[in-house]
Amino acid sequence: MMSDYVTAIAWTPDNSRLAACSACGEVVLYDGKTGTPTVLQAAQGQSLDALSISHNGQFLATGGQAGILSIWEIQGQSPRLLAQLEHSRLWLDCLEWNPHHAELAFGLGRYVQVWDGLTQTVATTVHFEASSVLDLAWHPQGEYLAVSGNQSLKIWQRQQWDEDPQVLATGGASVAIAWATDGSYLASGNNDCSLLVWDRGCSDPWRMSGFSGKVRQIAWSTPTPKSKTPLIAAISGEDIVTWTKSTDPDIGWTAQILDSHEDKVTAIAFQPHSQLLASASEDTRIYLWHKAQQIAQILKGSSQGFSSLAWNSSGTALAAGGHQGEIFVWTESTQGKGFG
Amino acid sequence: MVAIAVEKAVPVTVLTGYLGAGKTTLLNRILTYEHGQKVAVIVNEFGEVGIDNQLVIDTDEEIFEMNNGCICCTVRGDLIRIISNLMKRRDRFDHLVIETTGIADPAPVIQTFFVDDEVQTQAKLDAVVTVVDAKHIWQHWEAEEAVEQIAFADVVLLNKTDLVKASELDQLEQRIRSMNAIAKIYRTQNAQIEMNTLLGVNAFDLNNALQIDPEFLNETAHEHDETVGSMALVEEKPLDGEKLNDWLGTLLQKYGPDIFRMKGILNIAGNDNRLVFQGVHMIFDGRPDRLWKPGETRKSELVFIGRNLEQMNLAAQFQACIVTDNG
Repeated sequence: MMSDYVTAIAWTPDNSRLAACSACGEVVLYDGKTGTPTVLQAAQGQSLDALSISHNGQFLATGGQAGILSIWEIQGQSPRLLAQLEHSRLWLDCLEWNPHHAELAFGLGRYVQVWDGLTQTVATTVHFEASSVLDLAWHPQGEYLAVSGNQSLKIWQRQQWDEDPQVLATGGASVAIAWATDGSYLASGNNDCSLLVWDRGCSDPWRMSGFSGKVRQIAWSTPTPKSKTPLIAAISGEDIVTWTKSTDPDIGWTAQILDSHEDKVTAIAFQPHSQLLASASEDTRIYLWHKAQQIAQILKGSSQGFSSLAWNSSGTALAAGGHQGEIFVWTESTQGKGFG
Repeated sequence: MVAIAVEKAVPVTVLTGYLGAGKTTLLNRILTYEHGQKVAVIVNEFGEVGIDNQLVIDTDEEIFEMNNGCICCTVRGDLIRIISNLMKRRDRFDHLVIETTGIADPAPVIQTFFVDDEVQTQAKLDAVVTVVDAKHIWQHWEAEEAVEQIAFADVVLLNKTDLVKASELDQLEQRIRSMNAIAKIYRTQNAQIEMNTLLGVNAFDLNNALQIDPEFLNETAHEHDETVGSMALVEEKPLDGEKLNDWLGTLLQKYGPDIFRMKGILNIAGNDNRLVFQGVHMIFDGRPDRLWKPGETRKSELVFIGRNLEQMNLAAQFQACIVTDNG
């Protein structure tokens, strides 16, 4: 249990531990089986908003309101704080480790920096220019970094940081971006109530508009042997909207609205290797949607609403954070249990 | 047990004013005022403010355009990010104050609270407060920002009144009244003012009936040398709802960028409820209000604040919405 809103949670790649941070600045590592907490940082007053664990489970990074980027080495029994980079006047709210290299990309106002875990220094700084960085996402193969902001997305090639990025126009401000799990598509959720999807080889996106509000988060399902076509889910207001691309080019994309939640949807995540979609809401419920269509299960436990979600990499456990600092873990075929 | 309805949306005061008008002094008064409230402040220039236990956040103004650069669809991206992040805290604050820079355009700040759905559910505009330097404003009439800050205001503080003569103050107040017919105007020294006239004003709440200064309506000596002004329209005969709707739709389409604010109470034919509405540029919000009371004079009152209003033919178009006997 933490003492304020759980802003982000993440599993270590081996699924043995769960990390979470809160709106009063706490960072806690929980043992995935026993729930035993290890406090990396106690409450600070100022919020932490982003947390990410490196591909090999070696590093954990956080950022927040104080403008401090903190990096812990968490392998082994006793985690230790490795580096703290302070930035005055900047609120750090997006950061992500490269899925294949110990490289952390983080937004720093109108810039993005990449911190290299090998040299333990900032390896590069790129200028987004158009606005503050609103979101960033590494390509699943780790060779590209997409960065979003007002009016555009920019894609840099890793290790060619000095080259001009590819620019994709978005119309409004792009507030959330996500690559398809195989990297073949890139999606952008925008503040003008639209969703854009680019095929990697093509610069003209598909556009879906008419959302009830800005599109705040996007999730892609992993293609399965049965369904090779991509399935995308997006949240806006109290709704989840799914979009499926037919194999028949004449049909194109079909949308479905999942509107069972009765308050703001705060997070969505597909179970790895399936089309089971989990959605968390301020209405104090988590729904598990079979094939992202029908409610298969309802999970409860938070009195004030859920704020965040994370599946472990094998899809056998789902963790959620709550408004009051609660941490929940549900495992397949067991009842929900709160711990921490 | 008494059920307490939790009001989710935190009231927001927007503080504008030209450089040196006394914004920072006023902000410090708000922060030190013993009202038992936790106030969060968003400032554009970090400096003299900062009181223990109050949250001060520094930001750089960032304008986001949503619709091909139409000024009516611009919002402040920095505020959206900050407010969304702030609202996640459990020990939330009771009031949010946004201090803009002297040269900031107030429209994107206001529009942020109507356009962004996430902000809209979490925060509600209480009032736009503009501090005017009574002595030096004469040098700033040429600056568009200084004029627009007054035009968008719900509350105007005529500050530094000790530095000017009474006759000059009267003249200034009259000029401000001709620009903005709905603002409450207070004369202050050192930005000294009762906090309850400043906080909790609910100026954007449609339940608050429109109050037009009667003096404004009677005013004969209108100054025609200014491009920014107010126009009030009053009519007792009932209006045709459909015609009115068409007119306002066309008007905002054509002149939206030049209309800063609009407020009105309307007497619609065949409707026993008052219709109340308000607008900021092209953002428009209207709904049926309470029933007209027995014995109450049913009448429509409409106020426009904007640039070059005379070219919009408002009075004639409004008259054309009156229900005719044969139609």
